[in-house]
Amino acid sequence: MSFEPKLQAFNSSVNAVTLGTGDKAITIGGQNVMPFYTFDNAVENTQKIGLEILDDENAVENAKKAESMQGVDFVCLHLESADPNGADTSVEDCVALAKAVSEATSLPLVIMGCKAVEKDAEIFNKISEALEGKNILVLSAREENYKQVGAGAGLAYGQKVGAESAVDINLAKQLNTMLSQLGVDDKSIVMNAGSAAAGYGYEYVASTLDRIRAAALQQGDAQLAMPIITPVSTESWAVKESLMPEEEMPEWGSLDERIIEMEITTAAAALTGGSDAVIMRHPEAIKTIAAMIAALN
Amino acid sequence: MAVKGLDIFKLSPKTNCKECGCPTCMAFCMKVAQGALQIEQCPHMSDEAKALLSDATAPAMKTIKIGAGDAELTLGGETVLYRHEKTFVSKNVFAVPVCTSMEDADVDAKLESIKKIDYERIGEREYIESVFVHGEGDKLVELAKKAAALGRAVIIETADVDAAKAAVEAIKETKPVLVGATKDNYAAMNEIATAAGIALGVCGDSIEDIYDTIKALEDAGNKNLIINVTGADIKETLKNAVLCRRGAIKDGDKSLGYPSLVKLPKFAKGDLHLQTAFASLFTLKYGSIIVMENMTMAEALPLYGLRQNIYTDPQKPMKVEPGIYPLNGAGPDDPILLTVDFALTYFLVTGEIERSKVPVNVLITDASGMSVLTAWAAGKFSSSTVKKTFDDFDVANKINNRTLIIPGKVAVMKGEIADKLPDWNVVVGTREAVEIVKYFKDGEHIKAAEAAAAQKADAPKAEAKVVDENAPLDFDKIAASIPEIKVVDMGVQYKTRNVESKKFVTIGERIHCISPTIKAAMDNMDPEPILKRAAEQIAAGATYLDVNIGPAESNGPELMTWAVKLLQENFNNVPLALDTANKKAIEAGIKVYNRENGKPIVNSADAGSRIDNINLAAANDAICIALCSADGIAKDNEERMAHCHKMLDLGMSLGMDSDDLWFDPLFLVVKGMQDKQMDVLNAIKMFADEGLKSTGGLSNNSNGAPKEVRPIMDSALVAMAMMQGLTSAIVNPCDKRLMETIKSCDIFKNNELYSDSYLDM
Repeated sequence: MSFEPKLQAFNSSVNAVTLGTGDKAITIGGQNVMPFYTFDNAVENTQKIGLEILDDENAVENAKKAESMQGVDFVCLHLESADPNGADTSVEDCVALAKAVSEATSLPLVIMGCKAVEKDAEIFNKISEALEGKNILVLSAREENYKQVGAGAGLAYGQKVGAESAVDINLAKQLNTMLSQLGVDDKSIVMNAGSAAAGYGYEYVASTLDRIRAAALQQGDAQLAMPIITPVSTESWAVKESLMPEEEMPEWGSLDERIIEMEITTAAAALTGGSDAVIMRHPEAIKTIAAMIAALN
Repeated sequence: MAVKGLDIFKLSPKTNCKECGCPTCMAFCMKVAQGALQIEQCPHMSDEAKALLSDATAPAMKTIKIGAGDAELTLGGETVLYRHEKTFVSKNVFAVPVCTSMEDADVDAKLESIKKIDYERIGEREYIESVFVHGEGDKLVELAKKAAALGRAVIIETADVDAAKAAVEAIKETKPVLVGATKDNYAAMNEIATAAGIALGVCGDSIEDIYDTIKALEDAGNKNLIINVTGADIKETLKNAVLCRRGAIKDGDKSLGYPSLVKLPKFAKGDLHLQTAFASLFTLKYGSIIVMENMTMAEALPLYGLRQNIYTDPQKPMKVEPGIYPLNGAGPDDPILLTVDFALTYFLVTGEIERSKVPVNVLITDASGMSVLTAWAAGKFSSSTVKKTFDDFDVANKINNRTLIIPGKVAVMKGEIADKLPDWNVVVGTREAVEIVKYFKDGEHIKAAEAAAAQKADAPKAEAKVVDENAPLDFDKIAASIPEIKVVDMGVQYKTRNVESKKFVTIGERIHCISPTIKAAMDNMDPEPILKRAAEQIAAGATYLDVNIGPAESNGPELMTWAVKLLQENFNNVPLALDTANKKAIEAGIKVYNRENGKPIVNSADAGSRIDNINLAAANDAICIALCSADGIAKDNEERMAHCHKMLDLGMSLGMDSDDLWFDPLFLVVKGMQDKQMDVLNAIKMFADEGLKSTGGLSNNSNGAPKEVRPIMDSALVAMAMMQGLTSAIVNPCDKRLMETIKSCDIFKNNELYSDSYLDM
C-alpha cells in the first residue's frame, strides 16, 4: 500500500479583510486551511507584518522609514502616552499625530490605543473621523467600549474595527457577535485574541488560536471567522529576557540578540497558531519573520 | 481510531452459539467494541478479526526511547493534534550537529558550546538534550565516541552502512539513534539497528518514498522508528511533519505514527534568526527532534520557554518550586512578599517587582499550582500552609526583616497568619500584580508594617495559643462555649423525609462563607442571616443543606457545632452536608447531628491530599462526597475512574456502604472547558453502571454566563446528567427552573408518581 496523503481543505474560510488604500493596501485572511498548510490548498493572502511605532517625537520620521524597511506591510501607531494614568496626551494631540503619521506613509495604518477604555473610544472615533477614507484599523474595541467604537469608527466612519479579548475564546465570539448586531459588517472586523511572550503563559494563546481557527474552519462558525491580528512586540519586549541588561546577566549575552530572538520566537508561534498579521518592533526580527512567511508560502 | 461493533460483527462467526455468554454474536461484538469484553472470549473468532482488533486498540503514535541512563529521552506517544484536545506528552528535544568534515578543533569547540546551555526554568532542566553526529568514513566512529562522552543522547546520521555499523557498535550501550535507512539500504541499516536494539531513522526523497521504506521495515518486524521529515525546503518539511502526524492521529495510519526528525541547518543557511523562527514553528507543529546549527542563550531562552508552555498539560497548570526568591538583589534585611506557586501568578508578580527595582524576597508557598483565590477556597493556601512554608524553609532564620506582605485577595487571612507567626508584621499587599510598582513606590508596605509593629507594641502581649492538633475534642466544652440556640418561627418547616427514597437529592449551596452576609453571621454567630437562607432553600424544596464555614482555623469545632444545632433545631432536623477543610469541625458537627432525615454528609474527600476525609466519614457513619480528582482536574475518564475506584476501595475496606460514597465527577465550566462536558456526563454513566451514587456542584457549568442564561444551562445539564444516572447535585434550590426540571426528571425516571400538581409537591 503506498502513501496517499489525505488533504484537508475546509468548506469554510477565514474572512478576507482589506486594510489601507491604493497600491499599498493589504488583505489578510481568506484561506480555508490551517496556517501555513499550503499543501492542503493554495493560500491567496500571506500573513502580514506591521511595524509598531511609539508615539514619541520620532513617530513621523519612523513612519517615513517604514516604507523602505524590509518586511513591513503596515504601520501601527501605538498611542501609549494617551493613558490618563500616564502622560495623558490629549485627544487632539493624538489625532494630530495620527494625521501626520498617515501623511508620512502610504502603508496601511493601524491605531493601537492606550488600554484605557473610555479614552481609547474617544481617540479611535476622532482619528477615524479625521482619516475617513483611509481604511484604517483601530485596535481595539473591547467588551467595555465596543458600542462607542463600533458605532463610531466602524459605522460612522467606515474604518475596520479590532475586537479584543484577553485569551478567551468565548469572549472573542461574544464580542464579534455584539459588533455584528450593532451593524458592523463581519468583513470589517479583525480579532485581537490576546497575546503573551514565549514562555510567559503562551500556552493559553496557542490553544485559543487553535480553537478559534478550528471553530471557523471545521465548525464553520461565522462569528469566529474574522482574521486575527496579534500584537507581539508589546508583550515580547516587556519580559525579563528583553529587559535585563547584559551587565546584570552576563551569562545571557547580548540584550539586543535576546530582544530579537524573543520577538521572533513569539511572532513565529503566533503565525503558526493562526495570526494573519503580527505587530513587531525590531527591524531584524521583522526581516526574519518576513523571510519565514515567504519561505512557507 | 476506535473500531465499530459492526466491523467486528462482520468478521464474527455469526452462529449465535452463546458460548461467550452473550445471547447473540452481535451483542458480543458490541461489548467488545466498548471494551467490556475481550475478543478472546469468543472461541470461534478468526485470526483476522483478532488482528484487526489488536491493531485498532494500539496507540496511534508510538513512544520511542532514545539514549540511555540519565540521557534517555522519550519521544512521540502523542494522542492529539492540538494540545487543548487533551495534552501533548513528549516535549520536542533539541540537537546540535557535529560533522566528519569539520576540523577536530571545531568539533571540540562545538561540543564544548553544547555544555554552556544548561539552566533551570520552573523546575525543568533546560539543555541541549542531544548531539547530532553526521558524515561518513572512519571519522564517524571517533565523532560518535566524543559525542557520547558528553552524556547526551547521540543521533548518528549516515548513508554509509559500514560507517554506521562501526559507529553504532562503538557507542551502542548509550542507545544512540541511527538515521539513514533509505529504500536502497534499509535491510542493512535495519540489521544494525535491530542488533543494537536502537531506534532507526528513515529517510527518503519524498514522503511517499519514506512511507514505502517504513512499510518494508515494519514487514521486517521493526517498529522502533523515527521519520526524518526534512524535505527539500522548509515548506516540504512542514508538509511532511503535518501529513505524518495527521495521518497517524486523525486517519489512524500507524505507519506514520513515529516521532519526527527535523534538520534546520539546511534551511537557515547560517541565518540563526531564521532558524529560530523555524524552530518555533516545529515546536508547535510536530517536530520531535529539532536539529539546530547552533544554540545560544538568546535562542534557548525563548525557545525553551515556548516549549515548556506548549507541553504543559492544559489541566495541570505550570508550578514553580516553593521557596525564597530574592529579587532586585534582596538580602536578609529586605521584606518578604508571599504568593502562590501558580507559574502565571509567579511571573506576573516577580515581573512587576523587578520593574519596581525594590529589593524584595518573594516567598512561594505550595498551593498545588492554583491561583491565590482558588487555592484559598480549596484550603491549599491558609495560615497553616503559610506557617508550614515558614518552617520548611527556615524563613525566620534566613530573613531578618520582619515585614510579611500577603496578597490583597486574601486579606481575610491576615489575622490568622499573624496569630501563627506572631513575630512578623503582617501587611496586606495589592489585589493585582499591576498595582505592585505603585504600592512599593508609595512605601505602602513600610507604612503598614510600622503600623502593625506599633499596634503590637501597644497591645498587651497575648498568650501564645497552643493548639495541639491531635488532641481529642472536648465536646462538653465546645457545647458550653456556643451561644444558646433559640428556636424561631421562620414560616417554613422541613418535611420529614423517607431516607430510602430514590428521588434526586438536592443539596442547597446557599449557606456559604464566601457570601459576605454569611461570613459576617458566622464570624459573630449571628443566627438570623443563616436561618433566613436556610428557610428560603427549604421552602424551595432542598433535600439537604450544605454548610460551608470555610477553613475556620481558629474556631471550626465551635462554629460547626453551633451551625448544626441552629439549623437542625430550627428546621425539624434538616439533613446537612458539613463543608469545610477543617476535620475537627466536621467531627464536632457530627457529634451533635440528628440523623432522623438522613445521615450527615462530609463535603468532601478527594483521591489526593483530602482522601483522609473518607476515614472521617467511615468513623462517623456519614455519607462522603468523593471528588474524582487528586490535585487538579482528572485529564480523562480513565483517570476519573481510577480516582473513583481508589476511594471506593478505601471506603469499603473501612466498612462503609458503597451507597454512602457519592462520587463527584467535578462539573466543569462551559466557558473554558466546553469540550470536556461530555466527559463529565459519561463519567456519571460509568458511576451509575457500577451501581454507584453521584453528586456534584452542577451549577459550576454556567459560571460566568449571564444571569438569565444560567438557569437554562443548569436545567439542561441536570436533565442530561439525570439521564446518565446522576443521583444528587449541589445546587441553588432557589433557581425555580432548575428545581422544576429536577422534579420533572424524577417523574420520567419513575422516582415519583405523577399527578397534575407534581410541581407543587
